[in-house]
Amino acid sequence: MKNVICFTVTALAAVLLSCSSGDRRSGVVTLDWWQFWTDPSVKPTIEQIVADFEAQNPGINISITDLTWANGHEKIVMAFASGTAPDIVELGSDWIPELSSAGKLADLTGDAAGDSADFSAWTPGTYDNQIYAFPWILGTRVLYINTVLMTRAGYDEDFVPFNWPQLKELCYKIDSLGKDMYGFGANAAEKHRLYKKFLPFLWSNGGSIMSRDGSFSTIASDKSYAALKFYKELCDSTGMVDTQRRLEDAFLEGKVGVIISGDWLLKRIRNEQHDIPFITALIPGPKFPGKSFVGGEYLAVSRQSKYKSAAIKFIRFLTSRDNQLLFCKANYTATPSSKTAAKDPFFAKDPQLQTFVKQLNLSKMPKVDQHWVYIEDVLETTLENVLYQGAPVAESLYEAKLEIEKIVSGQ
Amino acid sequence: MVRAGRYLLLVFILAVMVFPLLWMFRVSLLPAAGTLSFTDFISSGYTVATYYDIFTSGNMLRYFINSAVVGAAVTAGNILFCFMVGYAFSRYRFIGKNFWFFSIIFVLMIPAHIIIIPLYLLVHHLGLYDTYGALILPFLVNPIGIFLVKQYIDTLPTAVEEAARMDGAGELRILFRVVMPLCRPALAVLAIQVFLTNWNSFLFPFILTSSESVRTLPVGLALYQGHQAIDWPHLMAGSSLAVIPVLVIFLFFQRHIVSGITAGAIKQ
Amino acid sequence: MRARNFTGCLFTLPRIISFLLFWLFPLLYSLLLGFTDYRLMRPSFQWVGFDNFIALLSDRAFLISLKNTFIFVLGTIPVTTVTALFLALLIEKKFPGRTIFRSGYFMPSITAMVVIALVFANLYSRGGYIYLLAEMLGLAPPENGFLLDNRTALISIMAMDVWMSVGYYMLIFLAGLKSIPRELYEAAEVAGAGAWCKFRSITLPLLKPVALFIIVINTIKSFQVFVEVFVMTKGKYDTSTAVYFIYESGLNRFEFGYASAAAYILFLIIAIFSLVQFRLFRRRAIW
Repeated sequence: MKNVICFTVTALAAVLLSCSSGDRRSGVVTLDWWQFWTDPSVKPTIEQIVADFEAQNPGINISITDLTWANGHEKIVMAFASGTAPDIVELGSDWIPELSSAGKLADLTGDAAGDSADFSAWTPGTYDNQIYAFPWILGTRVLYINTVLMTRAGYDEDFVPFNWPQLKELCYKIDSLGKDMYGFGANAAEKHRLYKKFLPFLWSNGGSIMSRDGSFSTIASDKSYAALKFYKELCDSTGMVDTQRRLEDAFLEGKVGVIISGDWLLKRIRNEQHDIPFITALIPGPKFPGKSFVGGEYLAVSRQSKYKSAAIKFIRFLTSRDNQLLFCKANYTATPSSKTAAKDPFFAKDPQLQTFVKQLNLSKMPKVDQHWVYIEDVLETTLENVLYQGAPVAESLYEAKLEIEKIVSGQ
Repeated sequence: MVRAGRYLLLVFILAVMVFPLLWMFRVSLLPAAGTLSFTDFISSGYTVATYYDIFTSGNMLRYFINSAVVGAAVTAGNILFCFMVGYAFSRYRFIGKNFWFFSIIFVLMIPAHIIIIPLYLLVHHLGLYDTYGALILPFLVNPIGIFLVKQYIDTLPTAVEEAARMDGAGELRILFRVVMPLCRPALAVLAIQVFLTNWNSFLFPFILTSSESVRTLPVGLALYQGHQAIDWPHLMAGSSLAVIPVLVIFLFFQRHIVSGITAGAIKQ
Repeated sequence: MRARNFTGCLFTLPRIISFLLFWLFPLLYSLLLGFTDYRLMRPSFQWVGFDNFIALLSDRAFLISLKNTFIFVLGTIPVTTVTALFLALLIEKKFPGRTIFRSGYFMPSITAMVVIALVFANLYSRGGYIYLLAEMLGLAPPENGFLLDNRTALISIMAMDVWMSVGYYMLIFLAGLKSIPRELYEAAEVAGAGAWCKFRSITLPLLKPVALFIIVINTIKSFQVFVEVFVMTKGKYDTSTAVYFIYESGLNRFEFGYASAAAYILFLIIAIFSLVQFRLFRRRAIW
């Protein structure tokens, strides 16, 4: 027992000692930066960019805090809600409005003016015509096709389906190759994932969720009906229904012919040295290549930050053409937010990356505002019910329309 | 025959209990990440490179040490404090006893997600944010521990204490010299439980600290779960390693559970 | 007697200090928020009385999450308790290799819940080992795996939970069995009692305080099941539970007042359950 008590005392002493540590040098500004890139293949690049910045700006130190994807959002929310936010924070595109609309982020409009022409996708960072977040690294989704299965199904190796009938035929033919073979990778009811797979079909067919002025929902239209009908048929008759992660596994194991995925899969194929023969292709529309879904990582400054100008300096450094390129090369990421970075030969040389660059020009983001979390929920429930619970398409879409309008009108 | 049947049952249950963990261990030995193909589970190769990698790259060792320090401090504090408090609730009568007893259990009934924001604020105001203090101080007296000790002492006969009191022993002496040895099984369970909970605790350490110097193992391991992909071999290797200290603690304390009260102690 | 009361207070001081310092403020804070329309990030909020509570009782998502929570609690606790007691009795007596079995049975409790949940998500999925086993036994598992089907998702999570927690409760039962004086059994044997009779009239009654502890703690924990759902299904496929609902509305949709109210409704339910359990066990067991 005595040992236990001795131990407690020692441990508590250790605690108190560690409390008083701190290494703030005078005259040096330390900026806290919360970020999500913890993967060992990218983290060194992040650290290198930070070191470069510190070397060029002797008065500024950057202290990096790693967040996890599973719980990072909670930590950000808590920090902002309790007034202890870091100076700079990396945000997913759909997290910005909750902070910008609440006045938690610094207005960067003036600072962005010079850069705005070179960046794509300002919209999620904008609220009330003011800019609150810089686009950094974007991400879009394209079609991945297993070429071995495609040729086995009777196609030429260089075939690329670019409209719905061709996609459907390809999936059907691959699906009929064998008992444990599937044509199309269909996402199960996975939160934050399922709707991102359907929206490209909706958009490609000219459909939309909201009217232009946002006053009513257009989800119950002929166009969205046709899109959902097509998507459901694809899933029902040729689909392997599983989570995104396991669909990608199945694709790499050659059990499913066509899936929709992002550039992380390219990176995975490269890092894990899979020798799977595949091509990437633009998401098909009803007649011609259609629109895909794009999201991205943004950088914002807390309104409370004492070192706003230093923070902005760092953000501009991170999002500069050269550093975006450096990052994209290290992370094998295809879609920098800088348009001049995207023109680099690095992307042009690699046909797979090139697909992403092309797709980015043919892609959309849903209009994310303070209603979006609720609208997303309605959308996902509707898709689940139609795809996996056998609910009728037209009725479900109409109910979704009513629900969304209730949300928008503030009931 | 009966004995053979009994062993068969024991082994069957053991297989059920251990299989998912063996799976975890097996994945940790997969060479490089890849798909978790189930069919060629045996043939898909073995490597310990991942384990080597965990210790050489990154700060996993540091997280390990942090977790051990925090776990040991919280466990020691709990053995001492929960024992004292639990004993008081079991044997003494005092003003507000029922209130305090229920306050203990009530704390357990509120989901952590609701109290974590005020706790986070509090930790900030006390200047404990991002220190070992934030990971240790709020958790030094675990309600479950108090409840466990109280329930256990309830089952013990009071005769021994009364005898000691007759002999003129002081309360502290009775507490530590007479009752504590009798409570060894319960305190052993407590130690295992507290260490275990603390060792695997994720939400509080994640929210209440930021820097790598105080990061604990579960937070470090969570970083292997990327946005779009999980680094299975690393995650499973880290988790397999994380089992070892708890297993050691378990093996160390379980003797006290099993040996229980030494034969003569309770007779008197 | 007075001196002893004083000592009693003194001994509980660590808990009282820790409670006042770290836990009272969070508890009161969240309780008060339950009566407001507070949203995270919004500085202004109003007192709305019982509006949140009334709204919750007609919120379908909340009611479904409560239903699932009840299924979870009522489904797992009896199974866990009985299995844990059975295991404790099975390995209580000395026999060769006992430590191996005891450690083995306890192993699932050692591993972090998140990891266990990820492992089981794989075992349950199409082509996973549990899935293959079910196929081998001719049980026709759901086509897309156990977790992607309304009928099996919740029950699969429950099964995992039982698997994970029996070892820990077994250990507590073991400690409890050790507090029963051997002499009682010896006396009963002299009187010619059989094994079942000894179990009924000695073991069970004397295990009451420990059993109460196990049931109360397990009830409190099970009512708050969250991590499993968060990792495995995110509340889809009819697996949303009360705490998952609270998490979603509080930290995802920022309706913190609403979430706090839901938390206190859950609190009330758990408190009632626990008090009933205390009552049922009251005879000679508790204070």
